[in-house]
Amino acid sequence: VSEGGGGGDLGDLGDLGPTPATQVRLAEMGRYDRDTVYGILDEGWVAHVGLVHEGRPLVIPMVYARLGDDLLLHGAPATRLFRDLRTGPEVCVTVTLVDGLVLARSAFNHTVNYRSVVMFGPAAPLEGEDERRVALDAITDRLVPGRSPSLRPMSEKELKGTRVIRVPLVEASAKISAGWPEDEDEDYELPIWAGVLPMRTVTGPAKADRRNHEGVPVPEHVRAMETD
Amino acid sequence: MSDLGPTPATEVRYAARGRYDRATVHAILDAGLIAHVGFVVDGDPFVIPMIYARVGDDLLLHGSPATRMFRTMRRRPRICATVTLVDGLVLARSAFHHSANYRSAVVVGEPQDVDDLDERMAALESITDRMAPGRVPSLRAMTEKEARGTRVVRLPITEASAKIREGGPIDEEEDYDLPIWAGVLPLTTGVGQAVPDDRNLSDVAVPEHVRAWEGAVVGGAGVLGR
Repeated sequence: VSEGGGGGDLGDLGDLGPTPATQVRLAEMGRYDRDTVYGILDEGWVAHVGLVHEGRPLVIPMVYARLGDDLLLHGAPATRLFRDLRTGPEVCVTVTLVDGLVLARSAFNHTVNYRSVVMFGPAAPLEGEDERRVALDAITDRLVPGRSPSLRPMSEKELKGTRVIRVPLVEASAKISAGWPEDEDEDYELPIWAGVLPMRTVTGPAKADRRNHEGVPVPEHVRAMETD
Repeated sequence: MSDLGPTPATEVRYAARGRYDRATVHAILDAGLIAHVGFVVDGDPFVIPMIYARVGDDLLLHGSPATRMFRTMRRRPRICATVTLVDGLVLARSAFHHSANYRSAVVVGEPQDVDDLDERMAALESITDRMAPGRVPSLRAMTEKEARGTRVVRLPITEASAKIREGGPIDEEEDYDLPIWAGVLPLTTGVGQAVPDDRNLSDVAVPEHVRAWEGAVVGGAGVLGR
């Protein structure tokens, strides 16, 4: 998101960084510890995966899951992304959560409250079918905890038809912008309303498929996902 | 209709989901708040979130001249800007057919600097105005110094694609016989009550352009927190 100003302390140093690639320029916004990075990854729905395709940047949205110290991505083998990922290239995965709009007294000082993670690593395809099965269940259960046991089990054919990519979490940073408008001193004298508009993602209410059997209730694991 | 592509860089593999017309691409760009912008540094990919505005056939991005993307652009100007709105989780009868409903737009190209100060100010105001339409006229006017200290680039929206997945789960025919609940969990973005800054002057009311946002529920999430 927009960057301006500068200075500040070194931020929280953790074992994921900083490295030259992940160092957050505004040091007070940067975090490199696993708790912070994993917390953001576990809250997002979609990652933006960047790779270099024939020398050019490509950014693709994907669902993902963190499993331990790995980020898992999955998709159909024929996609450009997965064709590229088979060769184990370096990828950059970015997850961004927007928490609110920061409305300042000048256009210049408007900003967004957000939390983001940027991670770098080599993409490694999971080759073993058991590994892939565990990973795919993890991705399903990460989106809707408790769902995979209620489903028709995965077939061999489906397992063979799905690529799973692991990116190890070894080089990552989080950037957190949380706060109030920071206006120029003289602007505080102006009769302009300033403040924050909070935003969040709302889930549900669940919509049943037309072809559900009569009498099949919305399961608890779906109910639990609906925002109150 | 399909004047923005497809090109080798933007072609959507699953052809039924790809769109290359201006109206569809523009609508997705106009609904999003954050673009994930990819660029190449020393052969490696970088992806950073940025706020933006679409004005006509340009995507406008801004930032401090010190940001890595702007430093890189001199030598490796090509970028890829992706905007994604997630509309729901698609819960099928098998793990394999789980999916997400989403709308995404990908714009690729080489951005050009907006050098003219007036143009730059207008661009910055349009980016601010997206956060709360109608807000800019109520603000202290931008100064030349502010405009000089911000880099603004324009990415022409000439090579772009949109990808859309909508609707319910699509299961294997035999799985419809199973008594498994399937459906869609919609995702939306909820805007809360405005929280005034401690230092607002005492008689300043919440303006209409902020009120209009409060309690709003807008379709699509994914770039947004839950």
